[in-house]
Amino acid sequence: MICRMLMGALLRQRGRVLTITLTMALGASLATAMLNVMMDIGDKVNQELKAYGANLSVVPKSVSLISDLYGASDDGAQENAAPEKYLAEDEIAKLKTIFWAFNIVDFTPYLQISAKVSGPSGTVEAQVWGAWFDKHLDTPTGESVDTGMVRMKSWWDIEGAWPARDDPSGAMIGASLASKLGVKQGDRISVAAGHLGEAVVSGVFHSGGSEDDDLFVPLPLAQEISGLRGLVSKIDVSALTTPENDLARRAAQDPNSLSRHEWDTWYCTAYISSIAYQIEEVISNARAKPVLQVAESEGAILQKTQLLMLLLTVLSLACSALAISNLVTASVMERSAEIGLLEAVGASASEVSFLVLAETMIATLAGGVAGYLAGRGFAQIIGHTVFGSAIAAKGLVPPLVALLVFAVTVAGSLPAIRLLASLRPAEVLHGR
Amino acid sequence: MTRRRMFFKMLTYSLLRRRSRMTVALLSVAIGATVLLGMAAVSYDIPRQMGREFRSYGANMIFVASGEEALLRVDAAQRAAALIPPDELIGLTPYRYGIVRVNMQGYTAVGTDFDQAAKTSPYWSIAGEYPKAGGEILIGADVAEFTKLAPGSSMTVTGRAEDGTRFRLDAKISGTVRTGSVEDGFIFMPMPTLESLMGSSGVAEVVEVSIAADETELKRIVSEISREVPEISPRLVKRVTQSETTVLSKLQALVFLVSLVVLVLTMICVATTMMTVVLERRKEIGLKKALGADNRRIAAEFLGEGLFLGSAGGALGAVFGYMFAQAISMNVFGRAVTIDWRLPLLAVLISIAVTIAACLLPVRRAMDVEPALVLRGE
Amino acid sequence: MNILELKNISMIYGSVRALDDVSLSVGQGEWLAIMGPSGSGKTTMMNIIGCMDRPTAGSVLLEGEELSGLSPSSLTAIRREKVGLIFQQFHLISYLTALENVMVAQYYHSMIDEREALGALERVGLKERAKHLPRQLSGGEQQRVCIARALINYPRLILADEPTGNLDEANEGIVMEIFRRLHGEGSTIIVVTHDPEVAEEAQRIVFLEHGRIANVVRRDA
Repeated sequence: MICRMLMGALLRQRGRVLTITLTMALGASLATAMLNVMMDIGDKVNQELKAYGANLSVVPKSVSLISDLYGASDDGAQENAAPEKYLAEDEIAKLKTIFWAFNIVDFTPYLQISAKVSGPSGTVEAQVWGAWFDKHLDTPTGESVDTGMVRMKSWWDIEGAWPARDDPSGAMIGASLASKLGVKQGDRISVAAGHLGEAVVSGVFHSGGSEDDDLFVPLPLAQEISGLRGLVSKIDVSALTTPENDLARRAAQDPNSLSRHEWDTWYCTAYISSIAYQIEEVISNARAKPVLQVAESEGAILQKTQLLMLLLTVLSLACSALAISNLVTASVMERSAEIGLLEAVGASASEVSFLVLAETMIATLAGGVAGYLAGRGFAQIIGHTVFGSAIAAKGLVPPLVALLVFAVTVAGSLPAIRLLASLRPAEVLHGR
Repeated sequence: MTRRRMFFKMLTYSLLRRRSRMTVALLSVAIGATVLLGMAAVSYDIPRQMGREFRSYGANMIFVASGEEALLRVDAAQRAAALIPPDELIGLTPYRYGIVRVNMQGYTAVGTDFDQAAKTSPYWSIAGEYPKAGGEILIGADVAEFTKLAPGSSMTVTGRAEDGTRFRLDAKISGTVRTGSVEDGFIFMPMPTLESLMGSSGVAEVVEVSIAADETELKRIVSEISREVPEISPRLVKRVTQSETTVLSKLQALVFLVSLVVLVLTMICVATTMMTVVLERRKEIGLKKALGADNRRIAAEFLGEGLFLGSAGGALGAVFGYMFAQAISMNVFGRAVTIDWRLPLLAVLISIAVTIAACLLPVRRAMDVEPALVLRGE
Repeated sequence: MNILELKNISMIYGSVRALDDVSLSVGQGEWLAIMGPSGSGKTTMMNIIGCMDRPTAGSVLLEGEELSGLSPSSLTAIRREKVGLIFQQFHLISYLTALENVMVAQYYHSMIDEREALGALERVGLKERAKHLPRQLSGGEQQRVCIARALINYPRLILADEPTGNLDEANEGIVMEIFRRLHGEGSTIIVVTHDPEVAEEAQRIVFLEHGRIANVVRRDA
């Protein structure tokens, strides 16, 4: 009989049931969307923060301090430089073989040389960098990767364009060097450092940094000019990392101080220090240094963003839970006459409560399922609008949403049921 | 008794004597307004708050000397800094470079103001302490490794002053700095120390400035400084400003979109609750029509109720919404939220509008029903 | 002169003829009862007389004024001015006191006059209960408040729908006594009922069956 009454109530009072279902669907879709976005926000913002460029710099272990120093240069020494001051270009692809290979987003090798650069208005001593502009690479694991400066210097303001992928002589020239040499896009310049080379300016860039005085040429060209075949002086790496914690900081000081268990945890977490450690493992003679300006700030901003989304999610879910349980209360109250009638024909208060609860539960469950599906859609809309990529659906969300729907329904029905239990059937029926 | 008083009497008693219903309705409006104000305040304040967090990326503007000059005057930089709104200026750090030798090995010595450096470059990882006294220095991590010197030990720095005379400084290493880039190879010392070694003062190669402002504001500051202080040429650090604009605008869009979704859903919730509460009174509407009330009169009564519920719930919600935004701001950023005084006003107005709309919709539907049907049909 | 004149009215809901070519005149000061089984058209008739609905065909004259062509809002105005309604379910506003419920009718009609409203309650013997809410009143008392509310604007026509349907015998007696007094004062009363005892009190009883007038009984004259 209970079933027949339930069916009757659900089917014949469609409008009323629909209101609850619809509202619960809205609430569940909100919960789904917020939870999904919240759980994925870390990865998404991390991707965005790649705009700040490399967070790891890989340099030879025995790099001479002086060449790295401000203004000081050891010109002429390049030709007979010891190979241990450089990294081998053919080892770069190994970056994609480390444990966290998937987190390595982009990387570019640089070969730094000092050279005499000549243009129409004269000859200047300048830093020349051999680099990958836009490189296609097949890794030892059989993957293929597209990477290079194009992806790592997104803040450059460029007049002209990046050199084409296989252009052997296309160059990017810093704005202040370009004005000193009097060159513009399409002009030829000659570069001399041991050997003589020629490049064609493909683009002039403003970076707002010291690079504005430098010249960037394709890596093979720089290697040829300097005679440093197959060698690079550093590799910039952009990796997705987990914000540092105590463990990561201790490991960064000295990985050997960790216990076996801690070491495993550290090694298998995408801390910047563990990624750096793994890079040092695969590339011989290399030291991977976290670029703190990027790495530290990334961590700070990621944590703030995640906390912000977490709080927003929790608070807005609490509010909508309140709002929905309030609505459930209102809609149960609306039915006081009908419930009074049931009590008048002999139903006990608990039977009536059960009926109301069951009815509301069925309505809200239907709404919850519909809302979950709609929420997935919402999350995708948010993902595509804001980040231009899909938000991953997390497995934890459906049980969480189900729990919320259940809790909200019960919480909403309770005050109403208490109110109904206190009704006297005679009063309800006489409309007093 | 005037009719107006009767109107208010009916209104008051409808609210007072139907307490449980009205509590439900008031609560729903209050929740709606809480979310409304909370979300609006958060999306309004986040870009500013988040912008401050982004200052951890370091200086977003540098001053260099204009023209062919290599050095700029620090007092000119101070004049330029005075043009930046004080609440936006996070830090201003001058850097002056010199060549020094330690054990015949050449290094770059940098003179700076460490108090300011800690503000413009918060990412510097310091082992030990910043130099305090004149004879103390801070060395880069690579220098420390190369020289095998640790904080607390001393280092003899030699070199030539600008006029060619030799100098020698026995300095105490107060700490090491690690950044992962060029700073790791530098030797830092307080500006007066470097100045006394070099034999000239009041100049710097570059001044780093960290300003909590968006790109438009930064560009305005750049053009103002170029105009007012011509001997200085301010430059934006594109890598920082450009990237901040990209990331921040996405974050802002995210918070905005999320707020919008939450808002729409909450408002629908409020509207449905109001409708449910009003729909319960179909019989009352029918009775009033049977007694000869015209549609306008009935609408006015519900309008009055809606106005009250909307403004009371809205005001209540504005208070809670402020707490909502404050809780988020304090927990995430550790700073109090700033709320534009118009926001609470707007929240109350929107609450009133939504409540009234949600009241009148079902009332209109009930009024369209002929009074007789309402009376007879239970 | 007749206060109410129904001429050949019909009411059709879809394929159902609720009223089929009914004509009826009610004189000034007359007490009329309308009887009939369920589905005979009583309610439809009452809705039309009470200016709450318009017939599909035929004309309705209230004090010589044609109603059938009027808009719902004009009908509302006429109902307000000329008709006092008494309901089986009383339909008092739950959150207003007895006195305020009477004043609501004044409010929608014209001026509020608390003393007059109190007077109306006194006439139905409820002066002491004026400050009580409906849920604090018995069924009979609620019906008396409903009557006081119907009378407050001096309607030309009092229309009662099963006024004693929800009342016990003692309260029924009180209500009928009030009707008798009103009749004595010259009010025109139409009572729709299926209780023969209530109908017996009227001067004329109209029996409806299948939407037509089946029989008319005159009790006086």
